[in-house]
Amino acid sequence: MKDLKEVVRLVTLEKKDILLSILFGFLAGLSAVGLFASSGYLISKAALLPPLYALTVLIAFLKLFGFARALGRYAERYFSHRATFSILSHLRVTFYKRLEPTAPRLFQKYRSGDLLARIVGDVESLQNFFLRVYYPPVVLVIIFLGTIVFTSIFSLPVAVVLLLGLVVTGLVIPAWYSVKQRKSSRFVRESRGQLSTEATEFIYGFRDLKIHQQLSEKQEMLQQASHLYLQQQEKDSREMLASHSWNTFVTLMVSWVVLGLGAFLVSSGDLNGLFLAMLVMISLTVFENAAPMAVLPAHLEDSRRASARLFSLVDEEKTENGTKEMDASHAPSIRMENVSWRFPEEPRQALTDVSFSIPAGSKTAIVGASGSGKSTIFQLLLKFHAADAGVVKVGGEDIRTLDEESLWAHTNVMLQENHFFFGTIRDNLSMANEGATEEQQQAALASTGLSFSLDKQVLEKGENLSGGEKQRLAAARVFLKGKRLWLLDEPTSSVDTLTERSIYDRLFRQAQDDTVILISHRLNGLEKMDQIIVMEDGEIQESGSYEDLMSRRGLFYEMKQIEQTILA
Amino acid sequence: MKHLSRFAFADRKGMTLLILTSLLIGASVIGQSYYFVAIVDRIFLGQQSLQDVLPLFAGLFLVLAGRTLFTWLNGKTGIRLASKAKEHYRHRLIEKMSRQSISTSVTGRSGQKVSVLMDSVDELDGYFSRYIPQMIQTLIIPVMILAVVFSAHLYSGLIMVITAPFIPMFMAIIGVMTKKKSEDQMEKLSAFSGQFLDTLQGLVTLKLFNRSHRQQEEIESSSLGFKTATMEVLKVAFVSSLMLEFISMLSIGLIALEIAIRLVVYESVSFFTAFFILILAPEFYLTLKEFGSAFHTGRGASGASKQLEETLNEEDHSLVWGDQRLTYEQPPALSLRAVQFQYEEGFALDPVSVDIPAGSHLAVVGKSGSGKTTLLNIFSGLLPPSSGDVDVNGRPLYSYKETDWFNGVSYISQHPYLFSGTIAENMAIGVPGASREETARAAEKAGLSQLLETLEDGLDTSIGEGGRGLSGGEKQRIALARAFLKKPSVILFDEPTTGLDVKTETVLQRSIQELSEAATMITVAHRLHTIQAADQILVLDEGRAVGTGTHEQLKAELPLYRQMVTMQKGGEGA
Ligand SMILES: Nc1ncnc2c1ncn2[C@@H]1O[C@H](COP(=O)(O)OP(=O)(O)OP(=O)(O)O)[C@@H](O)[C@H]1O
Ligand SMILES: Nc1ncnc2c1ncn2[C@@H]1O[C@H](COP(=O)(O)OP(=O)(O)OP(=O)(O)O)[C@@H](O)[C@H]1O
Ligand SMILES: [Mg+2]
Ligand SMILES: [Mg+2]
Repeated sequence: MKDLKEVVRLVTLEKKDILLSILFGFLAGLSAVGLFASSGYLISKAALLPPLYALTVLIAFLKLFGFARALGRYAERYFSHRATFSILSHLRVTFYKRLEPTAPRLFQKYRSGDLLARIVGDVESLQNFFLRVYYPPVVLVIIFLGTIVFTSIFSLPVAVVLLLGLVVTGLVIPAWYSVKQRKSSRFVRESRGQLSTEATEFIYGFRDLKIHQQLSEKQEMLQQASHLYLQQQEKDSREMLASHSWNTFVTLMVSWVVLGLGAFLVSSGDLNGLFLAMLVMISLTVFENAAPMAVLPAHLEDSRRASARLFSLVDEEKTENGTKEMDASHAPSIRMENVSWRFPEEPRQALTDVSFSIPAGSKTAIVGASGSGKSTIFQLLLKFHAADAGVVKVGGEDIRTLDEESLWAHTNVMLQENHFFFGTIRDNLSMANEGATEEQQQAALASTGLSFSLDKQVLEKGENLSGGEKQRLAAARVFLKGKRLWLLDEPTSSVDTLTERSIYDRLFRQAQDDTVILISHRLNGLEKMDQIIVMEDGEIQESGSYEDLMSRRGLFYEMKQIEQTILA
Repeated sequence: MKHLSRFAFADRKGMTLLILTSLLIGASVIGQSYYFVAIVDRIFLGQQSLQDVLPLFAGLFLVLAGRTLFTWLNGKTGIRLASKAKEHYRHRLIEKMSRQSISTSVTGRSGQKVSVLMDSVDELDGYFSRYIPQMIQTLIIPVMILAVVFSAHLYSGLIMVITAPFIPMFMAIIGVMTKKKSEDQMEKLSAFSGQFLDTLQGLVTLKLFNRSHRQQEEIESSSLGFKTATMEVLKVAFVSSLMLEFISMLSIGLIALEIAIRLVVYESVSFFTAFFILILAPEFYLTLKEFGSAFHTGRGASGASKQLEETLNEEDHSLVWGDQRLTYEQPPALSLRAVQFQYEEGFALDPVSVDIPAGSHLAVVGKSGSGKTTLLNIFSGLLPPSSGDVDVNGRPLYSYKETDWFNGVSYISQHPYLFSGTIAENMAIGVPGASREETARAAEKAGLSQLLETLEDGLDTSIGEGGRGLSGGEKQRIALARAFLKKPSVILFDEPTTGLDVKTETVLQRSIQELSEAATMITVAHRLHTIQAADQILVLDEGRAVGTGTHEQLKAELPLYRQMVTMQKGGEGA
């Protein structure tokens, strides 16, 4: 039940609608019983040839019950569904809120298709929790109690039979099925997640699958996942149907017994024959309300699983978020003091004892072998992770005291891989700076050599742009953002030298007084930087100005030599 | 919608079962009413004792058991039918997905495609498991009841015949009204999926641009939008069942009144008949009402069905390959003959002709966006040229068997995708049955040994989604290792060494050099030094081939190329 805690909490938010659903459900159920009872009575009474006016009164009752039932049913459905869909929308938002903080490492833990299956499929399936698990039992019990009290006025034994029937259909059969269900493992939710995961990967990796001729194999896998999911669904439906059928059967048997008992009581003179038809009609109707109990265990189990999948997102060791706003008026200085960091569950440290100091307004390059920890430094500067040891300072403030959103708001970041959203060029640019005018947007594009119209369609992940165009669009985006701290991770790795040149021109013009940290594999042109940090195996191997490093004849010099020979 | 019913009726066995069970259910409904009434009649009016009516009780028991059994069978058949239908449609969707061309594969939103595969197909369930069985029941049971009522009491039968048509008529009107709405609803759901998946992929970017909160609001508003759309459909459904309820109530009331008057005033019917009809009448309308709600479930499928139909009927110019065999004793010679290409909108590649002799190396250079990747896609057979021919060993590429061609090719694209799986699995994609040693050797050639040593599970470390994170250069090298493992006869590399430092790059250049000895190679490069030794260099400028030649030739003849070379050496790039 602990899996459902969060869902129950969200359900109880809809108090008003819950009460209304119960109220109208009760009203509808009881009127139905009243309707059939009075029609049974009516016909028996008519058989005794009463005066017509007596029948008219009864018929009026009949109509009254009929209307009450129809309206009650309508209102119950309306309110319960309204509540349900509010609950679902809360669920989606809650799920997203949980998901969002894990963003930098999200895909190390989860797969996109699986997350999609959760927020769509699992959330959808939870609508049954409210509609079929949460409130129907309450309605059922109230209706039965009312009916049984009414019946007992005419015949106690019949009332007892009804009570027994309630116990069997409302408790015994559901309990039996839920025990059965526990034993037979059902994986509807899991197999759905599986199919969605595979399908998403199939779509994302389509090009590589095609190139490597793996399409038919993956297709086969998808078909199998689909088959498994269907099998589970079918099994599920069949079990529900079986439980439903047993329920109906017991219900009909109760009416059968009521009839038999009634017949016995009438013939022994303990019951007025006038009421026999009415009692039978009551028993036939009241159990309509017990029918939902048949599918309750299945829905409960399904909801439990869905809820567990939704709320099992491991809580990331949350880096404590500070409250200090970043000072936006100055370019900040950056410091790292003896910083070490190890990715969770990794044996090796990604950064060991890293210390450097970057004065406000200076330009720094980070170079080093692939995998030496350059991008990791950025991740720590952006508070994606909290250092295991040491202190990171931005603008003289310990980064732990800074509000992360303020930090992001005041930093121009270009990651090694930049994402573009389905939409237009304008959409993708205006996320950086909503205030930017069309002219500014055009100018930013132009400074990277792009001549796109702002209305040009951008496909998902920028698939209709060339590699270099994507990088240039990302550059235009940060140019528009225009804050005082720049973190650029290989911003021009996929563009040609001519374009690279114009991007850097614009960058250094705009960032003249700003703090810039640039990760680069190209050593050409680093002469202009104030400081170069050379990384090797997660440690700073050496740092200093270009001349310093060249005269020291260390790693940088060696790299430079290599570059010289290949460029020669 | 039509194709759904056609599918259902094509299943002869299922249909027969549905009809048969419906007949039996109808019979048990009538039997049940008969026995109930007979028992009450004899006890109440006939003053008989319990013993006298025992046979009737036995009959009633059998009929009740039968009703449950047949209803169960009917339901089971429906479930089976729904499963079959879902399997059928999903199967076709998956097939369609894997046959699509590369240019179609990048259009649209992935989440939306997944949603069609998952949600739209699931949405069909109700149509087959509820609507179809209920429809058949409705065609059969009311008619049976009507026949019985007619034979028992003509006037009640007439009332039923007159009132019943209101129900389907009413439903038809409402069905038309909700059609659009239910289609909207399905579209909203898949749009939500599309947006959510895109959001997930760009979550870090969103955070860095402080857009994540906005996204949360969007999720909220789109799921509220979905709520509204669903409620719209449901409201109509509820109102319509309210109306059906009223119609059936009024009709039953009318019948009851008529019977009561005949029973009391004219004494022209017996209690037995009266009670019998009064019990049958609700059953009659119940079937009709249930059809009403099943009808709505079925309607819900119309949005899904429309989406499925659209997806399945989408035109796609998937390539047609021939069945000429292609073997690779020798690396093949490739050539382009006046190859032209045009994306649906925008960029066009002007006619290019070039010959790449067997075993030689062509490098493609040009500014960003000049069409290098496009050209490589054409070479690889992923994009069919709009006109002109790609020739392999003097025959058109598309005359060969697709698998034969790709078996000999390693194409490492600009943004290779790493699948969720181990490093070894990712490397061995396209080389089934690669041995452990070969894999390790390929990894070494890709400069991955050092990384692998630091990993506890080495080659068995899982990467991709749901696995360990890697640095940009590491991902690139794993993708490249695929080629080292495959040892292809045709190498197509799109900027193989982007994101690598000079040291690592040198190691890789050596491995690539080694690999290319037994292959025809085409590489795209921004870093010109990596291709100086190429046999031919093709310079592209805004989709035009402006020059072909060796490094020395081009340097001497082509100002654009010369400029590129000087810039690179110029030392003032940054
Ligand atoms: N999410 C992660 N989990 C575990 N290890 C990681 C993760 N991301 C990176 N690493 C490891 O940390 C090390 C440093 O990675 P980082 O991304 O900082 O390298 P880099 O210097 O930016 O390299 P490149 O030039 O290739 O981008 C690498 O060995 C990498 O495998
Ligand atoms: N699927 C597509 N649909 C429409 N246009 C496209 C598509 N893919 C690429 N383009 C456009 O075609 C042009 C050439 O793209 P291509 O990827 O071939 O360039 P490239 O030379 O490889 O550039 P880069 O060096 O930046 O990777 C670009 O202007 C790009 O926007
Ligand atoms: Mg990096
Ligand atoms: Mg390209």
